[in-house]
Formats: sequence, structure tokens, C-alpha cells
Amino acid sequence: MRRLLALLLFLFVAPVAGVQAQGDPPGLKGLFLLTDYPSQTVRAGEVTTIRVKVNNAGQMPEPLALALTGVPAGWKIDMLGGGQPVGAVMVGVNQDVAVQLRVEVPKDAPTGAQTVTLTAKGPMQQASLPLTLTVGTEAPAKLSLKSRLPSLRGTPRSAFEYTLTVGNDSGKDLTVALAAQGPANFQSTFTEGFGSNEISSIPIEAGQTKDIKLKVTPPRDVKAGDYPVLVKVAAEGATAEMRVTLQVSGQGRLALSTKDGRLSGEAEIGRTSSYTLVLTNDGTAPVDEVELSGTVPANWKIEFNPKSIASIAPGDRKEAQVLVTPADKAVAGDYMASFRASARGEQSSADFRITVTTSTLWGIAGIGIIAVALLVLLGAVARFGRR
Amino acid sequence: MRRKDASAVRRQGSPFTGFGPVFMKELADHLSSVRMMVLTLFVIAFGAFPVASSLQTLRTVVDPNSFLFLRIFTLEPEQVGISFIAALNFIIPLMAIGLGFDSVNSEFNRRTLSRVLSQPIYRDALLLGKFLAGLATFAVALVALWLIVVGAGLILLGVPPRGVEVARGLGFLVVAVAYGGVWLAISMFFSVVFRSTATSALCSLGLWLFFFLLWPQIASAIVSGAAPSEIRSLEEYAAIQDMAMGLMRLSPGTLFSEAVLGLLSPETRTLGPMLPAQMRGAIMGAPLPLDQSLLLIWPQITGLIAGMIVVFAAAYVVFQREEVRA
Repeated sequence: MRRLLALLLFLFVAPVAGVQAQGDPPGLKGLFLLTDYPSQTVRAGEVTTIRVKVNNAGQMPEPLALALTGVPAGWKIDMLGGGQPVGAVMVGVNQDVAVQLRVEVPKDAPTGAQTVTLTAKGPMQQASLPLTLTVGTEAPAKLSLKSRLPSLRGTPRSAFEYTLTVGNDSGKDLTVALAAQGPANFQSTFTEGFGSNEISSIPIEAGQTKDIKLKVTPPRDVKAGDYPVLVKVAAEGATAEMRVTLQVSGQGRLALSTKDGRLSGEAEIGRTSSYTLVLTNDGTAPVDEVELSGTVPANWKIEFNPKSIASIAPGDRKEAQVLVTPADKAVAGDYMASFRASARGEQSSADFRITVTTSTLWGIAGIGIIAVALLVLLGAVARFGRR
Repeated sequence: MRRKDASAVRRQGSPFTGFGPVFMKELADHLSSVRMMVLTLFVIAFGAFPVASSLQTLRTVVDPNSFLFLRIFTLEPEQVGISFIAALNFIIPLMAIGLGFDSVNSEFNRRTLSRVLSQPIYRDALLLGKFLAGLATFAVALVALWLIVVGAGLILLGVPPRGVEVARGLGFLVVAVAYGGVWLAISMFFSVVFRSTATSALCSLGLWLFFFLLWPQIASAIVSGAAPSEIRSLEEYAAIQDMAMGLMRLSPGTLFSEAVLGLLSPETRTLGPMLPAQMRGAIMGAPLPLDQSLLLIWPQITGLIAGMIVVFAAAYVVFQREEVRA
């Protein structure tokens, strides 16, 4: 008997189901209220938006009045459709309409679960959706700071670049302030991972990490040694810090000048003039194998004594003679020569102005010619003088 | 024989006895003569225009480092086309010839020479006195002109000249006097040689024109004749240039203009051609120190002074051998 009944029902329903199966999800008919998270946490004093969909599966469209029941005292829940407060929805066949519930929880709301029920009611049908809203305490902000290479080595002239990873481990977006504290006169700047703009703070979304770059420039005259730099990131009471280290190795620095600082001199044509060059090491490490060279006008001779200096200690100075011989056919006047000192990775040069003078020998010869002319005159006076 | 005569009439005392009165009298004659006035006006007329034009141009120059005062002399104003020193190069010989062309033969013609020589005055002193008096007159006129130019520069430019500029300006005066001295000696030489003042003046002026107009062309003709048909190297070219310059330097005007160029344009490094190899590394436009400029033009200065002395000596020898009839 029961079997027969089931068979009969099957025979009656099957053709209808077959028609429905062509366009719509099969089987299910009715009015539904849907949301992704029917039970969620809200925070006291904050606004939470809950998305709700009204779904009409195979029913006649009709106006559906929306209503909320069970709203706790002091709470304010607005129903918004398309940004406007709405009171009813009308959903086409097999269509959705989105409604947002804007839940405003008062600051002094007690913790605990509250159940709010949303109902959509039409003349023919109705649906309801219970939402469980738990008032929770705020999760504290939490930051993390990591560096893959916390210790770098370089010379006083190199830039130390550390790549740091800042993580926002808290449940909300934070704007993280960045600070670095190094020894006096150390300059530190932050840039975005691959950007060139200097930044002082960076926004990080909840649960995300961001790479930033810290660039530390030590002062040029820094002594060799290890220098720590303390990096601090802070946001809304949460801080994280770590220490990066600069290992500065010493570097020599050459400076070329003359004994009295004067970069000009005189030289007589065809004669060797010597000037004293002074090589100073202003750096923090010795300068080794200093070679001296120079550029002079064509056909001039230039020699250095000594030609090379084995080593100059930091803060020390060494003297060298440069011997310049202008060409025999040089013309009097000012010429430019340049002297260079080069060591491994270090170089210094100085332009030197040489005033070439001619020999006064010809001047004396000229006076001699005048003297001869006078002697001729005197001879004439002696020979031809008469009363 | 002559030697014996000479020793027989060997004079007593200094050959310069009577030099003082001759010098003073000649100087007084020159300075009060109408001819001197005419010559001075001539020079001023020639010099005033270039100087006025250069001053107009220089007033717009605002470069404290350039030798502003020296540029009054050397600047070639557009509207005139001749600089003050170029005008002087032309006019100084004329002035010197004007002062000297009749110094001795006019005394002959007026028959005053024997009267003068009957005084206790040697011929040496007479000639030297006349020459130096002419030179002094010339120097006075030139210094006056120079002061007028510098004074006008002071008023119109409103800046005082620097010490170096004054020193170079004074050097220019010395060179100009030596240049005038050469032409004075030449004109006196002709006045000794020729009895007619007109002939003497013609010869002097002819020589002046020869050096100014003809000599540059003759020199270039000689050079092009002597030069090889094909110039192969820079050195050969320089040698030809040197030869041309050497020939040109036989003219006192060339010596004067080169000496003045070295003095008044301090950035002049060399007067001859400059090889590219010599130019390398040189700082162009840098002025030479004064002593280096003087060394550069020393041959020119020497040439002018020695030339003056030699021509005077020639005039002296001719004069001494002449018969002075009463």
C-alpha cells in the first residue's frame, strides 16, 4: 500500500521536476534569507556591517516587509539597500537582493551573545534568519619585526641597506611608525621595499607583512668598529624592535696638496723646477702603494721623487718632490699641469698652474748690444773728435 | 798721415764742453717754435679721435681684471678703425723728422755754424746737444700727450689705474721715445749729409714712406722668393714665418709696434708664430708678468736704442769729417 502511494507520488511529481531542471537548481523552492556568517563577533563602540541576501527560488515575486526582532536595548541596527535605508524588498524569480545590516553597538554593551532575528514577510510566504552577535573584547595590536641580514659590513663610504619585514599580527589595519636610533651623526632613512621615497610610517593591513628598507649612512670619518642601530616600529601602543649592526671597516683617504697649499709655481724654460707635494691620509686605514703621476704640456718633462710611497698611516703625511722641466721651445706664460696620486681604490689629484719664465740671458745680451753701439760711438768720438 | 794730423789737433779737455748751453738753447728754440706747436696739434688731432672712441667703448666694459687703462691705447674702435698706438706708430716718425730734418744744415745755410764753433764748443757737443734737445722736446710732447690720455681715462672711466698698468704705460713711453729717437737720428743724419734742408726733409720722409708702404711688400716678395715651392712641415712654415718677421723687423715701425704690443697687451705670449705643441696645456688669455713681457720685447727695445745710437754715430762721423767754412 505504502509502495503504491510512493509510486503514485513519483509519477505525479516527476514530470514537474523535469521541467524545473531545465533552468533552475532543481528541487528547492521557496524564499531564503542568507548570510555568510550567521554568528559573528562585534566590538563594543564600533560599527559592523553584515551582508544579507534575500533569495527567491521559484516563487511568485511579491513585496516582502523586513523586520528585526530581538534587538538589545541601546543597539542600533539599520537595514540598508543600495546605500539607502529600506523597509521591504521585492525579489524576482530566482534572483537575489542584497541587504546590509549596519550594526552599531553601544560602548557600554555587556559582553555575551545576543540573537537578532531578521524576518522577511510577504502575503504568501515568509522567511527568517537568526543572527548571533557576540560582543567581544578588542584584540590587542601586535607587531613583529624581522630582518634576514641584521649585520652588514662595509667601509665608511658605503651605504648599509637592511631589508626589514614588518608584520601586523593584530586583527585590524594599522599605520606603523618607523624609527631608527643609531650612534651620533649616523643617518638612517626608511624606504618602501622597492620604492625610492623616504617614509616615516607605513599602513599594514591586518595579518599582512610588508618589506621596508633601512639605509644607514655612517659619517665619513667614522672609526673602524661595530655600530648598533636600534630599529623601532610602533602602532597604537604596540611596538616591536630589533637591533641591526654595522661593521665598519677602515678606509684610507688620500689628499694631495703642496707644502704651503699654493697650487701655482714658476719654472724657467729648459730648467728643472721642483715643487714639494704633500700627501695626507685623512682616512681611517692606511693607504698602501701610492703611485704618483702627472700630466704636463707636450714635450715637458716630469719626474717624481720618490715615484711611489709604500704606505701612509691614517692621519699621517708624506712628502714627495715633483721635478718639472718645461720644453725648450715653450713660450712664456701660464700653463696647467695636474699631479695625481693613486693607491688601491683611492685617488687624489691637484691642478697646478705653472708660470713659465724665459731666461734673462737674452736680456743681458741686449744690454751688450747697446753697449757695443755706445762703444762704436765712443770710438767715433775718439777717432774723429776735433776742434 | 791723418792719424798724425789727428794727434796734432787732439783737443784738450772733455768733448762735451759747451754741451749744456747748446742743449738749453736748442730746447728753448724748439719749445717756442711755431713748428713745435703745429706738430703737437698734429699729434693731438690724430690721437684724440681713437682715444675718445676707445673711451666710449671702454665705459661699457665691466671687467675689473682686464687691463682697462692699457686698453685705451690698444683698443681699435669700430668707428675709427685705428688704435691710438697705431696712430702713434704713424705719427711719431713725422714728428721726429719735423724736429730734426734741418738741425744742422740750416745752421750752414744761415752761416751761423762757424760762429757757434768759434765759441768754446766742440762739434761733438754741438751735435749731441742738438740731438738730445730734440729728443727731450719730443719726450716732453709725448709725456704731455700720455698724461692727457691717462687723465681723460681717469675722468671718463672713473677707476684709478693699477700699479702694473702705470708701469707698463711708462715702459710704453720709453719705447716711444726710443722710436722717436731713431727717426730723429735719421733725420739729423740727412741734415748733416745734405746742405739743402728740402733735400734732407725729402730723404727723411722718403725713407719713412719706404718703411711704411714699400717695405712690407718687398719683405713678402723676398720671402716668397726664398721659400721652397712646397711647404712640407710645420717647422718649415714656422721657419718661413720667422724669416718674414726678421725682415719686417728691419723697419723701426715694426719694432715699435711689437714692443708696444708686448707692453700694452699683457696676454701676448709670443710675437712669432706659435706651434700647436706649444699651445697644449697653455692657459690662454692669462697675462704675463711685467718682467716676462719685458723679456719678450727686450730685443725690440734693444734694437730701437742701439739703432738710434748707431745712426747717431754715423751722423757724428759724417759731421766730424765735414769742412765748416766761415
